[in-house]
Amino acid sequence: MSIEQQVIERAKEGKLLTHKCTSCGFLHLSTAYFCAKCGSKGFEDVLLDGVGSIATYTIITVAPSGFEKYTPYAFVVMAVDNSELRISGFMEGIATPADLPVGTRAKITGFDERGILIQKQ
Amino acid sequence: MEKVCVLGAGSTKYGKLPDSIADITTQASVAAIESAGISPKDIKASYISNVFGVADKQVHIGPVLMSRLGISDKPSLTIESACGSGSVSFREAYANVAAGFYDCLLVTGVEKVTHTGTEWTTTYFAYCSDFFYEGQAGASFPGLFASMARAYLTEFGATEEDFAQVAVKNHDNGVLNPKAHMQKKITIDDVMKSAVVASPLKLYDCCPFSDGASSVILCSEKFAKEHGGDYVEVIGSGRGGSPAALQGREHMTTIPSTKLAAADAYKMAGITAKDVDFAEVHDCFTIAEVVDTEDLGFFEKGQGIQAVREGRTKLNSDISINPSGGLKSKGHPIGATGVGQVVEVYDQLTGKAGARTVKDAKIGLTHNFGATGASCAVHIFQSV
Repeated sequence: MSIEQQVIERAKEGKLLTHKCTSCGFLHLSTAYFCAKCGSKGFEDVLLDGVGSIATYTIITVAPSGFEKYTPYAFVVMAVDNSELRISGFMEGIATPADLPVGTRAKITGFDERGILIQKQ
Repeated sequence: MEKVCVLGAGSTKYGKLPDSIADITTQASVAAIESAGISPKDIKASYISNVFGVADKQVHIGPVLMSRLGISDKPSLTIESACGSGSVSFREAYANVAAGFYDCLLVTGVEKVTHTGTEWTTTYFAYCSDFFYEGQAGASFPGLFASMARAYLTEFGATEEDFAQVAVKNHDNGVLNPKAHMQKKITIDDVMKSAVVASPLKLYDCCPFSDGASSVILCSEKFAKEHGGDYVEVIGSGRGGSPAALQGREHMTTIPSTKLAAADAYKMAGITAKDVDFAEVHDCFTIAEVVDTEDLGFFEKGQGIQAVREGRTKLNSDISINPSGGLKSKGHPIGATGVGQVVEVYDQLTGKAGARTVKDAKIGLTHNFGATGASCAVHIFQSV
């Protein structure tokens, strides 16, 4: 299974697959093939709960092709609990900034044609 | 290393253009050649920057251009680096002249996309993101910069009206530029009442999709002196990279590649940000100009918005930012933009900028990046 496919399968379980460097312990998203800190290639898989808080986001009203039927929706960047990592994704049902203050608790809930799905907790 | 100079420059008008991509590429190149006072036979090779040639049924534009210039035997190279293609192409040409491989090069950037419509451009521009994480999840480019804007609003207490002031200022400058796409003054109210594209960014926070081509002649100092004419010296060139996706960045209100490219360019030029008289910066969205002016060292982090409020970035104020009107008003023909910035600096430093002249300017800077700043190039120029 390709790395991207593994990320997708884990997202469907509400999890975030990460790569921990076996040399220096630095944690990356699993699409990393070499350590950004020390440059070594050895990683072990670490499965995190896909939960965290919204670091930033936007509410999109003019959408790329295929997303028109979902507007307005949010594209969010979520800071993942118990790590220094952030993960971005699609969040439905967000119409105004009042619906999603920065810091709102959120979680990964799946993956479909809208990419990694994130919802408010 | 050889000293490298810009000997001539030319642009088409930016906007919705009726002519084909091959035509506008040639028009800008001919204007640069004539501005330099050289013959096409003096050109040893060309560097072409273009992203969506496929939209006008012409990729591999280089040989088409060279054939039209009567120098089909000369090599060309097309470079894609999203919205930063122009400056990256300029950089590659710079490095080749500096290394002594060539004494005279043509650098031309071009884009022709307006006929495709907003949905096509929004969709295809999103392919410049880290698609697995961003474009695939419905992120548009306005959306990615809107995410940076949301973070800036939250972190530094700025307001949407503050961002609107950037648009108003750049339109004020663009009115003075006969080649600008949007030659129209606007008010803060116009920006605030324009349609929301990706909250908190509204239509007038966003640069337009534009057609256009820009071109410069880059040469060794020896070549410039022998061929006479007005030229400016390239005294600094820097490049940098950032994580491709916003999620990979510790801070959402800074673009790491800008800082890296600027540090390189300042070091090579032997100057600091304080020595820069004016800058053409990558203001694809109003938030971007604020972040750029901080990352380039003109203002402290979080203070760029205060500088805008105080009018310190207006034409002939503390530091003139985007005297051309910037991407916001002059327009953003993607592959042409980085080269167009050099055209503006050349015009400014050789007394050809007319009503938008930055008074007594000696040093100008260009800053151009691809995508959300995943790639970046900064160049510094000095009048001679």
